[in-house]
Amino acid sequence: MEVEEKKAGPTSHQDPQHPKGKPDRVSRLVFIRKIWAWAFLAALVIGFSIASKKVNDIDFISLRSVMGILTYTSQILLIGLGETLIIIVAGIDLSAGWVLGFSSVVGATVMQTLFAKGFSPIVVVSAGMLSGILVAIIPGVINGLLIARVKVPPFISTLGMGVLIEGVALLISGGYPVVNQPPYLGMIGNSSVLYYWPDHGFSFFGYPELAAQADIPNILVILPTVVLVTMIVTAIVWFVLAKTQFGQHLYAIGGNMEGAIRAGIPVQRTLIKVYALAAVLSGVGGVLWSTRFSSGAYNAGETTTLNAIAAVVIGGASLYGGEGTIMGTVVGALILATIQYGLVLLGVVPFWQFVAVGIVVIVAVIVDQFGRALGK
Amino acid sequence: MENLLKVNNLTKKFGGLTAVNDVSLDVNIGEVVGLLGDNGAGKSTLIKMVSGVYKPDEGEIFFNGQRVDFATPRQARDIGIETIYQDLALAENLDVGSNIFLGREILRSYLGGLIHTVDRNKMREEAVKALDRLNIRLDSLTQQVLNLSGGQRQAVAIARSIYWNAKLMIMDEPTAALGVSEQRKVLRLVKTLRDQGVPVILISHNMQDVFAVATRIIVLRRGKKVGERMVNQTTPDEIVSLMVGADEALESSIDLNSTDPD
Repeated sequence: MEVEEKKAGPTSHQDPQHPKGKPDRVSRLVFIRKIWAWAFLAALVIGFSIASKKVNDIDFISLRSVMGILTYTSQILLIGLGETLIIIVAGIDLSAGWVLGFSSVVGATVMQTLFAKGFSPIVVVSAGMLSGILVAIIPGVINGLLIARVKVPPFISTLGMGVLIEGVALLISGGYPVVNQPPYLGMIGNSSVLYYWPDHGFSFFGYPELAAQADIPNILVILPTVVLVTMIVTAIVWFVLAKTQFGQHLYAIGGNMEGAIRAGIPVQRTLIKVYALAAVLSGVGGVLWSTRFSSGAYNAGETTTLNAIAAVVIGGASLYGGEGTIMGTVVGALILATIQYGLVLLGVVPFWQFVAVGIVVIVAVIVDQFGRALGK
Repeated sequence: MENLLKVNNLTKKFGGLTAVNDVSLDVNIGEVVGLLGDNGAGKSTLIKMVSGVYKPDEGEIFFNGQRVDFATPRQARDIGIETIYQDLALAENLDVGSNIFLGREILRSYLGGLIHTVDRNKMREEAVKALDRLNIRLDSLTQQVLNLSGGQRQAVAIARSIYWNAKLMIMDEPTAALGVSEQRKVLRLVKTLRDQGVPVILISHNMQDVFAVATRIIVLRRGKKVGERMVNQTTPDEIVSLMVGADEALESSIDLNSTDPD
């Protein structure tokens, strides 16, 4: 800082020379923290390419792999988006995966009932989806009220809410998967926006009509519907966080809650909104799960909560609040999905996934701490 | 000339304890008033009444000739009384522009007001203006406040108050956490504020600071105003003796049993 004498007058605020050296180191640091996750993802892809070529002579890099990974990514990412917003306000949501399961159970139960009563497909599907998504608002708002108004620590209130909502989902479903879904439900959930049949051309939202069962392996699936929905939702949440006043307030609250209150930011209302919004995203995840698996299950998101939090942390968010981006979470989710998909492709015992994901999370936290230490 | 701030016979009690007892003071444009006193002398309580945190039990506050009666700190701020506490209330993860507009972001609307986005470029431009007014130069406005020095952060907090039309600035121990050269810069900022017609009430333990910038010193002891001196007509020794109450030194051993609030 220069407090100049009055006569000197104001001068330029941008100094490209970084005369103190500190901003230079800081910007390099920011660069490393931004880039490492992408570099790690690239390394993973290269590693799996070499391994899968050697082990079972399969090309890892293919349209099929990309679509497979993106499909794996979608559930982690949907929950991860909400977790990103919550972690930015120095909170955490341990109930997200259970809310996902709850939503899938409620949505599937509604569809099962309406289908059995002979309602038309449009009514069945839209009522099922809407009810699955909207019902998630209830646990979300309760989380928000407990945290913002009653000042229960987020860890405790969402842990309690997770167990509670798991119980409610079990009560509704009797502990069984909610099956007997309309046959068209799975077709929607497993459809793709675009198909390409070599020598025959493209088709939208369904395999080409002329294609016989035998032709199906030759038809390329481009952009599964689930992936498209996830992309759209991701774009919306990115916009909200990066561009709107609500997003700005999330960063301000995470950076200095007391300061945010004094600056007149409606902190309580914002906190309630963010937990409700995250729950709605869990609801979307639950409904998508139901369409993919033609079912509803209380444990549909059992492992998703921690994977999603892992994705957020890998993406550079700080659990102390104030930092985190949607792009970071996207990379984090891609890394986790790539590990899962790659290990399956290699035929590794699936339990290794947990070991691998755990290692990556720990590495991510070390990189973050190391970066912070350098920044001081 | 009319006083910018005029405080008449303010009293504040907490239970049986009189934190501030019948204190009057005034602050005029072109002044820096040092508010001095030992721990528990009532400085903070007095200031919190002026900035709307506490409601006085007795007495009245006039600002710009108008009787004011604040229900919230926000009301005090809205009419131009800004208080900068030691923690500065900055969001260190955000850049300078975002901090100056914290909670009052500049928005751009699209689609006929359907969608609003935060206009960071505009906020940065305005931040430059606010900083220019105080002759503050920062290397980069895009970096997080986290990366600024303590004095620079003070400057951002002050610039924020100025931007939102502070007419009177209350600063609580602004130099307490700073290195020597940073302290000097902040004191120079205090003078800049004074020169631009924003008087400052400076709360400090640091006698040197107060003598460096203040025009007038008010000393509190155990809730009472025990002295008011022009800086050029007093000495640090005299102020210290007012603060600790040299004339009442004998009594103090008895009074140790009573606890004063800070």
